[in-house]
Amino acid sequence: MNNTTKHKTGLRGAWEATKNYPVIFIVVGLVAIFSALYTKRFLSPVNFTATLRQFVTLMLFSLGPSIVMLLGSMDLSFIGVWMLGSVLLWILTPVIGPPALLVFPLLGLATGFIAGVVHTKGRIPSFILTLAILITYWGLTVVLSGGYPRPVKGFGWITASVLPRVPTPFLWSIPIIVAAIIVVLRTRLGTYFWAIGSNEEGTRLAGIDVDRYKIIAFTLSGTFTGIGSIILFAHLGGSAPVEFNMNNVVRPLVAIILGGTPLVGGSGGPHRTILGVLTFSILYRGLHLSPLRPEVIDLVVGIVLILSIIISSKGTRMKGVDIT
Amino acid sequence: MVNKTGAPILRVKNVSKTFGGVVCALDDVSLEVYPNEIVGVVGENGAGKTTLMKILVGIHTPDRGEWEHNGVVVPFPRNPKEAARKGISIVYQEKGVIPSIKVYQFLFLGNEEKHERRWGLQIGKMKQHAREILEEFRVQCDIEDFMYDLPLSIQKMVEIAKAVLRIRLEQNRDTTDSVIILDEPTAPLTIEERRGMLGEILRMKSNTSFVYVTHIMQEVMEYMDEVVVLRDGKRVAYFDMSAQKATEADLSRAIVGREILAQPYEKGPHAAEGGEVVLSAQDLTTRGCFYDISFDLHRGECIGLFGPAGSGKSEIIRSIAGLRSRDSGKLLVQGREARQNEPAHKRLSRGVGYFSGDTANELLHDWPITKNISILNISKVVGRFLRFLRFKAEKALAARIVEQLRITTPDVNTLISSLSGGSKQKVTVGKWFEKNPAILLLEDPTIGIDVGSRQDIYQAVLSMKRAGMSMILVSDDLKEYSTLCDRVLLMKQGRVAERISAEQLSEVLKT
Repeated sequence: MNNTTKHKTGLRGAWEATKNYPVIFIVVGLVAIFSALYTKRFLSPVNFTATLRQFVTLMLFSLGPSIVMLLGSMDLSFIGVWMLGSVLLWILTPVIGPPALLVFPLLGLATGFIAGVVHTKGRIPSFILTLAILITYWGLTVVLSGGYPRPVKGFGWITASVLPRVPTPFLWSIPIIVAAIIVVLRTRLGTYFWAIGSNEEGTRLAGIDVDRYKIIAFTLSGTFTGIGSIILFAHLGGSAPVEFNMNNVVRPLVAIILGGTPLVGGSGGPHRTILGVLTFSILYRGLHLSPLRPEVIDLVVGIVLILSIIISSKGTRMKGVDIT
Repeated sequence: MVNKTGAPILRVKNVSKTFGGVVCALDDVSLEVYPNEIVGVVGENGAGKTTLMKILVGIHTPDRGEWEHNGVVVPFPRNPKEAARKGISIVYQEKGVIPSIKVYQFLFLGNEEKHERRWGLQIGKMKQHAREILEEFRVQCDIEDFMYDLPLSIQKMVEIAKAVLRIRLEQNRDTTDSVIILDEPTAPLTIEERRGMLGEILRMKSNTSFVYVTHIMQEVMEYMDEVVVLRDGKRVAYFDMSAQKATEADLSRAIVGREILAQPYEKGPHAAEGGEVVLSAQDLTTRGCFYDISFDLHRGECIGLFGPAGSGKSEIIRSIAGLRSRDSGKLLVQGREARQNEPAHKRLSRGVGYFSGDTANELLHDWPITKNISILNISKVVGRFLRFLRFKAEKALAARIVEQLRITTPDVNTLISSLSGGSKQKVTVGKWFEKNPAILLLEDPTIGIDVGSRQDIYQAVLSMKRAGMSMILVSDDLKEYSTLCDRVLLMKQGRVAERISAEQLSEVLKT
């Protein structure tokens, strides 16, 4: 009954924090290795900006899915929301002007809600369901855009430079990330999500409407993806994309699992995903600066995914909070 | 002593419940709980205990019945929240614990409203409140501990604290007349842990009442104030334990509905020293668990390893089963040495089977009885040519075992998940019965099942023993040792303290 031991301050607190987030060692290690290998290029302001840009892209894509993965479910529809939303924006902007941006969060919210309802009421595995949504949205995107990338004018202000060296989308993304973390850490939702991922039956027995909170999780995921897509749309070129890029699906998942949210759910969350994304961004930039060819980089990314899944599944069957 | 002068805090009358229009789960059952008492509810698996409890907490709605509160008929609760508002809360037998959240989060799970403001949870206040609760219920853990880190007994105490807290939060009062339903709370615990928990429950009796579902007769005799016996959905007996001296035999008779001591347990001839040794352990050691364990197991003999939790008994049996490795020592199985990290399937092919009463892990719940039996006896159900599965043979095999062990099931194709606890256990016994290994390791073979099923299982195990099977038993049930074993090794802190015969066991324990 010792209730006072857990208050730690200063260095000790910092040490405890690193112990709980071992991925910090990987970050430091990677920075050290790449700084030693390519001192000039890796520590340059250009690379700093590039790393931040990479961070924004990954973070905004993985924010929503990392909420759903807490429950042990999967949301792959995020790329679909971004692609279809961009095309809808291209169609709607000439008609209603800047408010057309709202199409992203609305589409995300609707997608997440529908995915959640079908997943829970129809008892359909979320992986295959959201994969189907992704493919459907991609097809719709190509049909609506006629098969060509469509640039959309008038949203340059999203990316207009504010601070030197810091990409503006990074600044935009901060409140979105903070909002997601607050939802998970400071409201009852987060506790319920962990509980469902950890022991769904037990959560039901505690008198919690599990289906309802699953639907809420998917809706939140879609909404955060939608809001993030506003930034991403401008960040990734300001045009409606038509080409489907597998990397956009895989890399956020790598980041989430690296951060410590296991596929079976029950622990982790968006706050941990930040660390995963940071790790991945630094690794990716380092590989990018190396003489490796892009295909080889993809190979490395695949291996990292496999390794992180193995590690997370080993430590996290029942416990795993402190595993990266 | 029970204070019957006041009004009962819970009174339900003539409750009936039918599932799917066919199975009558409860038939005209009444239950009363007065302040500061423990009401035991006992009965065989499938007698309707769990259904009654689920009706009390609003998970099931009864077809008929009345809920009386201060002499007024009120509606039954429709969900656990409404039940908590009426002052009733439950601690489930299993699956109630959420492993990966922290203690304070678990305590408030589903009842966060009190500490919720517009901008989210007030974590600081929640933690402070949780601390007070742990202190009040003397739970030996920290609010920041993860549930999975806690031993089972502490987890149960946290669950009990949560149940009381839930009623308080729903009623928005600090002290209330509450009824806590405990569904076999001590089933997974060791003897010492049981005593500790029951001590706490007695202490809590000063301001709480309990409805206590259990299979453990000793708990009923020692701790219950009243006992209600259910059989086949009917209330068949009632005992006021403080007034009349009901004996254990009375209770057992009421539970099973027949004289259960009619069939004596026949151990068969005691394998003499010098008989054929089928398994020989020589100085088995795993640092931190057990040291220098040596014994010879003869054909047809049953050795019991008896000791408190942490004495290393279950680690020994698991290392013999190949479920964990050992550090040093020699293990001879039928005269041939078994390597220390040889996996379980290799041990099985040498004739060492491991049978645990933990049906949750032993059985494939979404599969029918047939598959669960044939999975261990696959060679008996495949064809000679091409080794295809023969469904007819599978069915015949399962039917034979169902018949032999008196498993209550509509069909051999019934899914395990829809069987009662006792029947599940019998299926596990049945598959080993058919496999018939030379050596069978038994770990808590009858945990959490009723007297009738237990007797059937003992008879099946003893008939295997008489046929020449050797066994090693680890259990938390004292009687099991005298029923099944020829010899008992008393374990103490990982070492064999004494070797005695089964007859001497009861004398040793008395002193």
